Amino acid sequence: MASFQHPLQCLQYAQQQSVTSAGILVASSGRSIYSYAVDNGKCLDVWPKNIQSNAEHAVDEQAPPEKKIKLSPGSDGQDEQSKGKSSSKKAPGKQSPEWTNIPILLTSFDGKHVIALTAEDKTIRVFSLSQEGQLEELSSRTMPKRPSALALTPDGQTILCGDKFGDAYSLPLFPGEYVRRVEDSRATKIAATNRTVHSQRNLHSLEQQRIHAEKTAEKAAKGEDSVDNTARDFEHQLILGHVSLLTDLISVSLPTGGSNRSYILTADRDEHIRVSRGVPQSHVIEKYCLGHTAFINKLCVPSWAPQYLISGGGDNFLLLWKWSEGQPLQKVSLEGVTQTPEVNVRGIWAVSAEQSTGAPAQAILVGLEGSSTLLSYTMEGDALKQQESIQLSGNILDVTGVDSHGAIIVSVDNVREPGSSEIWKSSPSTPQILLESFQATTKEGSLKWNPTTDDVFVTAINAAGTSPIPTDADDKQKKTLDGALYSMSVLRKRQHED
Amino acid sequence: MTTPPPKRQKREAYRRNLQNQYEAHQSPNVEVTQVKMPQKKFFRQRAHANPFSDHNLDYPLTPAHMDWSSHFPAFLDPDTSKTTLAGTRKLLKDVEVADIGCGFGGLLVGLAPILPETLMVGMEIRISVLDYVTSRIHALRMQQQKLKSGATTENTVQDSNNTEQKPLEDEVGSTTAVVPGNYENITGIRANTMKFLPNFFAQHQLSKIFVCFPDPHFKARKHKQRIISESLNAEYAYVLRPGGLMYTITDVEEYYHWVLRHFEYQSEEEKARGGVKDLWERLSDEELAADPCVQVMSNETEESKKVTRNNGNKYVAVFRRKADPEWST
Repeated sequence: MASFQHPLQCLQYAQQQSVTSAGILVASSGRSIYSYAVDNGKCLDVWPKNIQSNAEHAVDEQAPPEKKIKLSPGSDGQDEQSKGKSSSKKAPGKQSPEWTNIPILLTSFDGKHVIALTAEDKTIRVFSLSQEGQLEELSSRTMPKRPSALALTPDGQTILCGDKFGDAYSLPLFPGEYVRRVEDSRATKIAATNRTVHSQRNLHSLEQQRIHAEKTAEKAAKGEDSVDNTARDFEHQLILGHVSLLTDLISVSLPTGGSNRSYILTADRDEHIRVSRGVPQSHVIEKYCLGHTAFINKLCVPSWAPQYLISGGGDNFLLLWKWSEGQPLQKVSLEGVTQTPEVNVRGIWAVSAEQSTGAPAQAILVGLEGSSTLLSYTMEGDALKQQESIQLSGNILDVTGVDSHGAIIVSVDNVREPGSSEIWKSSPSTPQILLESFQATTKEGSLKWNPTTDDVFVTAINAAGTSPIPTDADDKQKKTLDGALYSMSVLRKRQHED
Repeated sequence: MTTPPPKRQKREAYRRNLQNQYEAHQSPNVEVTQVKMPQKKFFRQRAHANPFSDHNLDYPLTPAHMDWSSHFPAFLDPDTSKTTLAGTRKLLKDVEVADIGCGFGGLLVGLAPILPETLMVGMEIRISVLDYVTSRIHALRMQQQKLKSGATTENTVQDSNNTEQKPLEDEVGSTTAVVPGNYENITGIRANTMKFLPNFFAQHQLSKIFVCFPDPHFKARKHKQRIISESLNAEYAYVLRPGGLMYTITDVEEYYHWVLRHFEYQSEEEKARGGVKDLWERLSDEELAADPCVQVMSNETEESKKVTRNNGNKYVAVFRRKADPEWST
């Protein structure tokens, strides 16, 4: 039986100037990044390079890292799992990748760099992307908390990273020489005194702290000081923070009175959208956009209409904002789109696809988690106008516009039944559909997306596939795979007693 | 079915009584003979609450949805056609002072007569403690009404005699004189300000924020729960108008330095890098001495009295919110 292929989790289109080719599509699937030539769909490069050999030889060479599921095929997968647990510790230098998926992918504005987040190891990796589509890892930086959103500043030189802890950091695209700032000596000083704590229990623990501090000081004097492994050895600066899980972060440049002002928009699990100034003034909060009643998952400011913001998440509506005023303009209902009672907005994409006839088709596309219907809207005045939806063969995972094709490419889940985030198809369909492509036609003011006929690019990628999912994956492994692609429901607040 | 433990039964009975007393007072036909101040012992709650968890909190969608009408009945706009976005009646003025982590409300009660025309709100995450604040303010308002209406002061005098003879720590705060504002200008709400401050207050709405004896969170790994941090200071700057004041007081010396470190640049190098500290400047000792609010903060909150009793130190720092800097391009 043919096995399922890992679906393409993220799509990014990169077109480098002064290059005549149609550009490169960069996509993440499973634990790998692929680059494809847009003119013929040929796979140009895969990262990490050794992944194939890993998959073949991993079986007796190395134990899978903790908490990871084994992705390599083979009948003895189960044995390998149990062996892994007993021999546990990872062999340094010979590790298989310490992540199972790449949930965030970003390309620089000039198309020459790719920024990826590997999930479990919380690492931001920067790659160079050559004209031939070769990926070369330039740097890897492990963040203190798991990043949930990445963005580039308008000048393209700084990565902004929002994390699950509510903090946002700025990191230079290329890490330079880093000199750690001298910071206050840690811990050894005890803040409490017998003037500030009084109960017997507190006084007792104060005494314990004092003894502990003395011991640590002794050790330090002997040079046995434990290495502070929480410190980061690269430049990163805290630029703002929410006391909530940050779900999205975008960087916007807005023309204002002759000059461009840069802003950072951040969204959190507690229904807030914050509008801050760009770095280095990100501590100045300009506005809040308040109006959601459940978590927010995605922010979208179209590059072709930067005064507008479309936001969505756990509410059964989208909100359209004039974000620089914090002013809501429109509430767009999403009721009836899915069968499930809970609506989770997975993605909001602003695309601009060239048409054979005149002006480009500018549209806002909205995908819900575990839904195979892609909603389509156009901007008319201060409002979103619904257009005919696009029906896909599987759940929508990601969307990207491919300018040179005048098309959009949608990545679909080939593994699970359309409309479900957990029910797997009984067997892989042949050929497996990983990508679908559409082109826009405008007729009498309404926008329609038609499947691209004879798209060599999409056909080639669908035929080539990605990496196989083991056919004997058990329920637990399936669940982990589901969790990597469909993780939004955990953001929803559940009522409980105080 | 198990019955709740006796302690909780007592608590609940006590609070019901208080509520009845208040409701009885609301109806004009019933003459209440004596207004009792609530006793703290029925409202105690564990000192710490986790600000990161999802409590069942009530908070408005936006500041324009906030219903203040039940909190400040004396300041209701007589024009009933004016309503908030939530459809409730509007006030004649906006709330201007917030006491973040108001505890048992000592600061509010102390400030009320000093700023009689200013609406002030205490915000507290612990539900029982907030219930106490609400009962306390209700009781104070009732006492004031009785005093104003010239009712026999017998009971009240007796009451104050009682407190003199037996200075119960738990039942304090009865007033014997009519004070400016009659405590109509203060209220308490339950809120997690670390998360939801911008839901309650619009940009630049506040003129003063108080943070009095905040939970020190001694352990280093708990420091992220502290109510003063660079990220939160940006939010305080958002709700505070330029020129507005941020008052802090603590009895923990290390926390005092923490506060200074998070509002003031510690070196020229740091200043050159810039950051949220651009928005704050510290008030001089002369300015502090001239500010009656500092006196109240230092001497009239429950915690400050406790610190005095234990011969602790008090560290005051007040910061003025500066205007937003010019846009950097």
